[in-house]
Amino acid sequence: MNLTRIAAVASKEWRETVRDRMFLALAFLIPILWMLVFGYGMVLDVEHIPYALLDRDQSQLSRDYLYRFQQSRYFDFKGALSDERAAAPLLAAGRIRAAIIIPEKFQERLLAGQAVGVQTLIDGTFPLRSDITKGYVIAINAAFSEELAVAYVARMKGLSYERARALVQPVKLEVRYLYNQEVRSAWTIAPVLVMFVLTLAPPLLTALGIVREKERGSIYNIYSSTVSRLEFLIGKLAPYIGISAFNIVVLWGMAVYLFGAPFKGNGLLFYATALLFVCITTGQGLIVSLLVSTQQAAAIITVVLSIVPTMLYGGLLVPVSALGPETQIVAHLFPAMYFTNIVHGTFLKGVGLEVLWRDVLILVLYATVLLSVGYWLFRKRPIA
Amino acid sequence: MRRLAHMTVLQRVWWRRMSVMVTKELRQLFRDVALIGFFFWAFVMDVYLAGSGTSMQLVNAGLVVHDSDQSESSRELIHRFHAPYFRFDGEVAHPDEGIRRLDFGDDVVLLDIPPRFHEMLASGEATAVQMQVAATHSPQGLSAASYGARIVGEFGRDASARAMGLPANGDLPLPVVRSDHRVWYNPNQDESWFMSISEVLTITTIFAVLLPAAALVRERERGTVEQLLVSPLTPFQIMFSKVVAMTLVILAGTALSLFGILHAIFDVPMRGSLILYFAMTTLYVFTTAGLGLVAATLATNQAQVSLMTILVVAPMINLSGTWTPPEAMPGWLSALMLLSPLHHFVNISYGIQLKGVGLEILWPSALAMVLLGGSLFGFGIWRFRRQFA
Repeated sequence: MNLTRIAAVASKEWRETVRDRMFLALAFLIPILWMLVFGYGMVLDVEHIPYALLDRDQSQLSRDYLYRFQQSRYFDFKGALSDERAAAPLLAAGRIRAAIIIPEKFQERLLAGQAVGVQTLIDGTFPLRSDITKGYVIAINAAFSEELAVAYVARMKGLSYERARALVQPVKLEVRYLYNQEVRSAWTIAPVLVMFVLTLAPPLLTALGIVREKERGSIYNIYSSTVSRLEFLIGKLAPYIGISAFNIVVLWGMAVYLFGAPFKGNGLLFYATALLFVCITTGQGLIVSLLVSTQQAAAIITVVLSIVPTMLYGGLLVPVSALGPETQIVAHLFPAMYFTNIVHGTFLKGVGLEVLWRDVLILVLYATVLLSVGYWLFRKRPIA
Repeated sequence: MRRLAHMTVLQRVWWRRMSVMVTKELRQLFRDVALIGFFFWAFVMDVYLAGSGTSMQLVNAGLVVHDSDQSESSRELIHRFHAPYFRFDGEVAHPDEGIRRLDFGDDVVLLDIPPRFHEMLASGEATAVQMQVAATHSPQGLSAASYGARIVGEFGRDASARAMGLPANGDLPLPVVRSDHRVWYNPNQDESWFMSISEVLTITTIFAVLLPAAALVRERERGTVEQLLVSPLTPFQIMFSKVVAMTLVILAGTALSLFGILHAIFDVPMRGSLILYFAMTTLYVFTTAGLGLVAATLATNQAQVSLMTILVVAPMINLSGTWTPPEAMPGWLSALMLLSPLHHFVNISYGIQLKGVGLEILWPSALAMVLLGGSLFGFGIWRFRRQFA
């Protein structure tokens, strides 16, 4: 190990990066632009669901009922239907996602103390959204029913409203949300976006930086030089890790100050683990770069290896507990999931190493294994 | 007459040159073993894994209970929090222990049943149970609360039916609104349909943007483009042959996913026309390739073009409207997403496969893709010509 030689490789790599203005700009801009676009765009709240309605009853009570939908921020009224068949083309074109159909005699039956079914047609293309839409409709129906039923029971049995309410709905559910009291989508998404960006950007820079030398042939200068394998790898990776080390701070700042996500944990723990995670993803980029010979392949493989597992198994949008048995195994093979736990822990939960030590340990293990494999794969004397 | 014969000869030469170039591109691609291996991984394994075990709906949410009552009623209520939505992970002696389990992330819901629960129910007094939900994932957190409210609501209704001396599980003789749902297109809300289709879209997009863009810049970086430019090929032929070759490969990949995984394993229906589906996929790949070509003419080396295209690809995928509802995006962003070919193709792909609709409904999306693809190609070829004029 010779520090001068490491510095020489690092400064050569840094200069090459700095002189390619567009590459340099993109290296710093990509994380910022992604964070901006995803932070504003990936809103998980299912709100403003476009819907149409068909009121076959046209009574006072049906209008009262529909008023609840019109008032709700979850639904956006798109128009009244003339008959049931008119709903099909609107749903097919995606112009509406739900249609509510109120039957005849809605008011008559309810006033007579009978139950009435209200039909909702829901677009099932996106199952999470249809499920949440269903939940909203059920909640609105339940609230409307409770009022009617309580009034009815109070009137029929001559009870006070309070007694009638206890009779109709004896158990209430009181919900408290932990870690994200107002269930804000931005609090959920902004912290994990830091994870997403750090999975994708660092390996890309690294893989391209190394394969570039292989493809152009300038790597032969290294093969024939006195630089040892370890010195070369350290010097080569240092500038890219440096760029990401800076980007972590920017991303963290955007999550907290721009998107208003809380940061309840220890900043040092977060920064240290984020740096560890960058080493891991950089190591992934290194391994990809050693296995391929063209930048085209390096870019595509890195993107597929980063975007797909992170979106699906990284805990970005899908909680890992909701994965099937096979997919659970796959999820545990990728490092993203562990860093997501740390991100949730430090941002939202405000817990420290006493809870997160497992995840940190696994990440340390990952970094060691990946960088060792990278070292082992890198040969100064190419076999072929 | 002779003039016409002459034209056909020229045309034949033109097509022959195209086919030679397309063959060259295909050969070059197939010699990149790592890339081809990955191509199969992406179109087969990734699509399989995405469809086989991922769920954005509330599934298997870990539930711990602090039951201070330990009665028949409390056990019945706990019993109703069942699979597939909840996974009962046992009882805790103290609520703090439950919160600790939530901190560790092993469980997401803590249900707290108060003392005298059974007694109060029997005497017709109103009571309440507490539910603490870890909202680190906001949609699933809301969903857990919503299912919880439904379960507790039904439990309460049955209890009050019993209190009034009526059979449980039936309609109470009360003026209530029943929720009758009909979920269209995917009645069982089978997430493997949604996920596998979405994954095919993602993979197609990545390959369609990156493959032709890199192929074009590589020729320039290595200097082989000079050879092509002194050949009798037109700039259009040089560019277009790459796109045609890559489109053929990507269509083969789509067919592999569609028949090998989606239809064979997940029973995803093809309710619309298969021919229309492939025609629209071809249009989509062309349009998206145009995006890569424009990036290729702006970059001077492969590293630049890769970063530039990926800068665009990631937002295209994440904001396509499959992962998050497009209605929730701010106006400026949803206007920007109209420029993304994937935004339009999502409608088409789900529309043909699940809704069984054709161009009579999808024409606005198809038209948008034609316009986008046309302008991207036009711009790309104009830049490419100018660079070598």
